[in-house]
Amino acid sequence: MDAEEIYKEMADAIVNLDQEKALNLANQALKEEMNLLKVIEKGFGEGIRKVGDLWDDGEFFLPELMSGAQIMQKAVDVLTPQLQSSGSERQSSGKVLLATIEGDIHSIGKTIVATMLRANGFQVIDLGTDVKAEKIVDVAINENVDIIGVSTLLTTTMLNQKKVIEILEQKNLRNNFKVIFGGAPVTQGWVDECHADGYAENAVESVKLAKSLM
Amino acid sequence: MSFTQWLGNVSKIILFDGAMGTQLMNYNLEPGKLPDFLNIEGPEIVKKVLASYYESGADMVQTCTFSANLVNLERQHLSEYLQKINIEALRNIKDIQPPRGKLIVGDIGPSGEFRPPVGEASGDQWKNGFQQQVEVLEVGVDLWHIETMSDLQEMSAAIHAIKEVSLKPIIASMTYRKTKTRGFFTIMGDSLETCVNTLEEENVDVIGTNCTLGSDQMIELTKELVQLTDKPVSVKPNAGQPRLEGGITVYDQSPDEFVNDIEQMIDLGVKIVGGCCGTTPTHIQKMRMLIDNR
Repeated sequence: MDAEEIYKEMADAIVNLDQEKALNLANQALKEEMNLLKVIEKGFGEGIRKVGDLWDDGEFFLPELMSGAQIMQKAVDVLTPQLQSSGSERQSSGKVLLATIEGDIHSIGKTIVATMLRANGFQVIDLGTDVKAEKIVDVAINENVDIIGVSTLLTTTMLNQKKVIEILEQKNLRNNFKVIFGGAPVTQGWVDECHADGYAENAVESVKLAKSLM
Repeated sequence: MSFTQWLGNVSKIILFDGAMGTQLMNYNLEPGKLPDFLNIEGPEIVKKVLASYYESGADMVQTCTFSANLVNLERQHLSEYLQKINIEALRNIKDIQPPRGKLIVGDIGPSGEFRPPVGEASGDQWKNGFQQQVEVLEVGVDLWHIETMSDLQEMSAAIHAIKEVSLKPIIASMTYRKTKTRGFFTIMGDSLETCVNTLEEENVDVIGTNCTLGSDQMIELTKELVQLTDKPVSVKPNAGQPRLEGGITVYDQSPDEFVNDIEQMIDLGVKIVGGCCGTTPTHIQKMRMLIDNR
């Protein structure tokens, strides 16, 4: 079987949510000393992009989206030690800090976004829920992230999303980061009002948005 | 008149209430604060909202207990308040003395925890969480409304929890979004048809839908829903989509537009009408007029 065929099998394993097959193929790639970066990009990565398309089309739902992303992650985990020891690392799509804002303990949307971003090659720091705007900014500076993603489900806590941008402006650091919002009540109008860099309707859209900002 | 008699009366359209959560925000509900906790900390506010719906002509109003199930309260580190929140919620709705013949509905909302692979909740955990809430509310409610469920398995867990403790009627409302090409599904992937089939097997009294969709899209869903079942149907759409303006949540759709849509749903054969997020006593008043003038 040539490499292209194996890549296709890898992508199919992700789309079919077949973890055993995906992990077998990852191990086969190690054994046959394939180009692991290509394996991730053209094989499993292609699979997770297709999972995103299937979500867009209404063929896949939350369980399939999460399974696909988790299998992708496990396959990448199989390849990572070899990638690191060979000195070639998967090219990071970017570094993203995620948090649900102060006053809000809803985590599910943010967790799904984190899983999808990781599956798509982003480094993700997830600060969890009910996180103060000040802390989000501090970690963003210390970790030198590219994108800050702030989530909220409640219209009442939505106001705190704006605080993140205000603090960055006060510190004259607004241009150092892209700031994106997520959560059911967020609209383009709110993004404009806060001078944020964008928002996404769902986890699949968030990956597209993050990529467009890099 | 009991709820079952209402259901049996072919000419009766039952008027449900409007939103609780978005109404409480008008009273400066602290951001992130659990609305259900106001049953203890701000009972007067809860009573005002409940009373406003009875006064607007609702036939039945639900308790302020959307989030007061064990799984949800545990997540918010409030599990020790389960009894108290639900007891006070009952006290609050009894205190306002619903007009004679009007009913009290026990409100059961989702746990907020998903099953694998999305989250870690199990069916038993859900069922136990709901059952503890139901055991408290059972003494004071006339019927149940399980609402805003996006997972049919969680819905079944809630139905089983109620049936273990109560013989009272159940309205079972799932929440759907519209997919690009395949019609209405829950975010967990249950199609409208699958939901209807399961809810019929579970033998609930009313098959309902609420939240996520505005009234215009809910007309579309209703057309399909009434074709799929002979059971009474309940609809509680949102008042369009929310928007934040200068720090205040605004719903652009006017109550009149909303009520026009509701009329279309009644014409399609819906038995119970009400509103979800963004709807107000004005919406209910206008629906009362609509129903009375038919």
